[in-house]
Amino acid sequence: MANTKKKEKKIELKDIFELGGHGVDIPFLLITLALLVFGLIMLYSAGYVKGIYAFNDEYHYIKKQCISAALGLLLMAVASTISRKFIKHFSIGIWLASLALLCLVFLYDPYNSCQRWITIKGLGTFQPSEIAKLAIIVNFADVLEKNTGKLDKIKYGLLPFAIFLRPVVLLLILEPHLSCIVIIFCISAIMMFVGEVDWKIFALVIGTITLTVGVVIVISMNVEGSYFYSRIHNFINKDTVDLTVEGYQSYMSLLAIGSGGWTGLGFGNSRQKHLHLPERWNDFIYSIAVEELGFIGSLIIVGLFVAFFFRGMYIARHAADKFGSLLVVGIVCQVAIQAGLNIGVATNTIPNTGISLPFFSEGGTALILLLAEVGVVLSISRTCNFNEGKSDESNNSGRRDSRTYKSGAGNSTEN
Amino acid sequence: MKRNIVIISVFMLLGFCLVSFRTFWISVVNYEKYRARAVDVQTTETEITPKRGTIYDSNMKVLRQSATVWTIFVSPKESDPSQANIVAENLGRILDVEPSSILEKLSKSESYYQVIRKKVDKPLADEVNAWMDEYKRQQANSETYNPDMPKTIKGVNIIEDTKRYYPYGTLASTVLGFCGNDNQGLSGLESYYDEELTGTKGRMISHVNAWGYDMGTENEVLNEAVDGYGLKLTIDETIQYYLEDALEKAIETNKVVNGACGIIMDVNTGAIYGMASMPDYDPNDPYTLVDTALYNSILNIAHEEEQNKALSDARQAQWRNKAVNDLYEPGSVFKTITAASALDSGAASLSSGYRCGGSIAVEDRSFSCAHGAAHGTQNITQALINSCNVAFIQIGQAMGAETFYDYFYSFGLAEKTGIDLPGESRSLYYTDETHTPVTLASSSFGQSNKITPIQMITAITTAVNGGNLVKPHIVSDLLNPDGSVAENLTPQPKRQVISETASKAVCRALQENCSSSGNAMNAYVAGYRVGGKSGTSQKLDGADDEYVASFVGVAPCDDPQVAIIIILDTPTGENGYYGGQTAGPVVGELMGKVLPYLGVERVYTRTEKVTQNLTVSSVKDYTVADATIKLQRQGLTVKTVGTGTKVKSQYPAYGTKIPVGGIVVLYTEGTEETLVTVPDLKGKNANYVNQTMLSAGLNIAEAGAYSGNKGVTVASTSPRAGEKVPMGTVVTVTYMASGAYE
Repeated sequence: MANTKKKEKKIELKDIFELGGHGVDIPFLLITLALLVFGLIMLYSAGYVKGIYAFNDEYHYIKKQCISAALGLLLMAVASTISRKFIKHFSIGIWLASLALLCLVFLYDPYNSCQRWITIKGLGTFQPSEIAKLAIIVNFADVLEKNTGKLDKIKYGLLPFAIFLRPVVLLLILEPHLSCIVIIFCISAIMMFVGEVDWKIFALVIGTITLTVGVVIVISMNVEGSYFYSRIHNFINKDTVDLTVEGYQSYMSLLAIGSGGWTGLGFGNSRQKHLHLPERWNDFIYSIAVEELGFIGSLIIVGLFVAFFFRGMYIARHAADKFGSLLVVGIVCQVAIQAGLNIGVATNTIPNTGISLPFFSEGGTALILLLAEVGVVLSISRTCNFNEGKSDESNNSGRRDSRTYKSGAGNSTEN
Repeated sequence: MKRNIVIISVFMLLGFCLVSFRTFWISVVNYEKYRARAVDVQTTETEITPKRGTIYDSNMKVLRQSATVWTIFVSPKESDPSQANIVAENLGRILDVEPSSILEKLSKSESYYQVIRKKVDKPLADEVNAWMDEYKRQQANSETYNPDMPKTIKGVNIIEDTKRYYPYGTLASTVLGFCGNDNQGLSGLESYYDEELTGTKGRMISHVNAWGYDMGTENEVLNEAVDGYGLKLTIDETIQYYLEDALEKAIETNKVVNGACGIIMDVNTGAIYGMASMPDYDPNDPYTLVDTALYNSILNIAHEEEQNKALSDARQAQWRNKAVNDLYEPGSVFKTITAASALDSGAASLSSGYRCGGSIAVEDRSFSCAHGAAHGTQNITQALINSCNVAFIQIGQAMGAETFYDYFYSFGLAEKTGIDLPGESRSLYYTDETHTPVTLASSSFGQSNKITPIQMITAITTAVNGGNLVKPHIVSDLLNPDGSVAENLTPQPKRQVISETASKAVCRALQENCSSSGNAMNAYVAGYRVGGKSGTSQKLDGADDEYVASFVGVAPCDDPQVAIIIILDTPTGENGYYGGQTAGPVVGELMGKVLPYLGVERVYTRTEKVTQNLTVSSVKDYTVADATIKLQRQGLTVKTVGTGTKVKSQYPAYGTKIPVGGIVVLYTEGTEETLVTVPDLKGKNANYVNQTMLSAGLNIAEAGAYSGNKGVTVASTSPRAGEKVPMGTVVTVTYMASGAYE
């Protein structure tokens, strides 16, 4: 492994790009574009009222979001040509950068008593935790690939992950950013599971996480006024309308969804968006979508996410190597988990955590990064061997898959 | 690894199924429940406020009117901090509010509603709008655009409201009342007719955003608002003004301590021409105590609760309409009712005689007349003129308690008159069962029973109008918003109480009381056959020297049309405390103004005719001889100054009115106007006055009580005694019946 590392230090121009293979995966690209367009349309509908009230401009949100989408698509196109080798090369760098950015947020004024944002004059706000998620995904994929076969040892199967995870989680607790920690834990667990960490270590990890979360919940349940307390408290008492911010949000969200019926009130006709439902252009955009488009509309949204997820997992299964496969699993699962949790919050299935809905929620930098990540998936999809996947189901090593490369442009990962 | 991907996929799919099912559960299965709750949150039922009706006087002059006004408020939560200063500065300038107070309101950043100024008129509201438009225009213009500020003014709101206007200020304030902040009638007519004036609220369902503001879409009107009825009053603004003016003057002249009230009423219908209660207040500012001395004494109360109570009581007292809300003992005015009852029941006739030896014993009590006067033998008219308590006790005894109380009830003195004003008091009286011979005796001359002024004047009108008990009322018609009559509210007379014959006899007696040596001489008005009765009652519940002076006048007595009651509570001036001396002249003055105003013609008696005025003709350039003949033929006296043969000038000038026998001074060539001094006539009788004035070369214009009556002397002259005036000047001499006791 040390050998490999040294080799990788030197990176040549030809290693940066990946243009070979059979081109990007068109179905995945189409699903992504469908989600993006649908999301922009819903954001316009949900956000124009607030735009008028707050900025006297009904296009206030959608204008910014469209610019971000355009930038994101550009970045996606670029990312879809970047080779995995290049990404791998900078994995530690990404992690260090994300840590630096996570520290930077403490220089900015708190918003809602949280310090999660970096404000760049003229560009808007940016959440470093988004980068942190990507950093964890890239590094986990890298480590899982490198340590293949040694993942039953603590030193290789647990320690590296803990080293990557610990400072990130610590900084997120300080922000605090509960939802991001949850997502990162979920992604980590999924990647370790898919990356075949020894089941004993995996059980240990899951056990520790469960225990920690359990203890946090039990403690915070009894500390009135704490951040976690109010979130969880509001979830438990969901049948009573309390007018604290989160309880009110959840209740108004239920009223919006409940107003939808099968077919909804019609596009643009939401009443709850008229300031009743806070964060309607953000965390609760799903509720407005259901209010306007009904259960049928919600099926389309959930269906698109499911399609996105399954096509993504299909790409992961047929990726040329383990790193690529895990990278795709991490990215796709991140989107799926966020979508699932967001809808779970909107439907009051889980406590209100403040997770945005990918492709739909307002947030320029998040969308740009998300599209860039899709670009990475598309880049991996170039070298997939979809035919081989069908003939050799038992093949579970990305390393061996790499033999099927057709282009010579990026086969330098082979020892 | 691929197996694990499949496992994860399955878990994830389960997750998506779960949230999708939740969506289905909420949006489809529980649709009804959430939809209903959502409608509840999203809609609001707004009331559409109807316009409050207008109140007109009998000539359709507007006394009360509601108009649309605007309330300007800021919503700090919606406002932009960068605009705080310009908002404070401009709103402060336009609305005349301290900018610092606006800044303070804007700093309450969690609030949605901070009133800057309530109920401003259209020009100010327009100005605020114009300022906000101007700002918007500046921000839209690239040259004046300020990138640090929003494009529009944020968080300044203007909402419509209504305000009651009181164009005549204090006029009839205790009768008409006033409205509160929400345009609800709080006292007087505004309160009594509140429902009619308010109209019917409309209802509108509108979709609102979370701040409760209209979303401007899909409003659904359930009921249109129906504007309130207008009221046409029987009160005449001019007569009301005469009444209040006369009352205020009387209060000042007689140093009245505890306020006063007066009612002017149509004898035949019960329509109120004017009603006043003093002190009154300004309906624009009803909570401020008019009596500053009282207010200061309340401020000195240390205990906060007591202070608040005292303040509240004082306000209630200020809003009271004494004519309807307060009880008093009518005193001798009531003798009119006793006389009417006795004449109608047959217990007394015009020829019955009553002996007065100065006092009479009833059981263990001895009643006497005022000043212990012994009136000798009198008929009922003389007893009224003398206001003889002893005679009226005998008249009461002749009727007996049962008859007395039959009439007492019949005259409506035990029931509310039903006047359309709030808070009419119920009278306090001995009944036919609780009375004793002593209370019957005192009741006969107006003591013991307490009634309201409106009951008293209503009973008097009944006694003089042919015997019909009328229902006093203030509103004649309910009007539609366009001013057309919606409903006539003039009530029917309640019942016949005494016969027309008895009524005529009462009228004659009252007129005699006014014009000869009676106690009502001060209400005399030449040509109007005024009848009246004075009253002075000691306040049983007040201090020893507190008297209520009152007077009721009726005119013209051959066909009564107008009745006036004036009540002065505790007069302390130099005219004393007797009703005839204090309240009587007020009634006289009012009759002299109100009757001509109502177009009642003067009919002079022969004696009155003699004193009527002649118009001086012009004799300039006549020879002195011709001028003298011409003037003497008119019935004037001529005095010549100078020895010339031609009249160069005359005084009084051509067109001046002077009494028959009055002096005209003729000046011949080369002479100057001669000045004479007005003599001091105070306390002198008419004979003395006529002689002195003739020799001084001055003309007389009589005012006040009829000078031919016994005991009538001069109260004042104008110009005053000692002043130098040209010979021939008309001096107004005001007579007063000084011996008008009862």
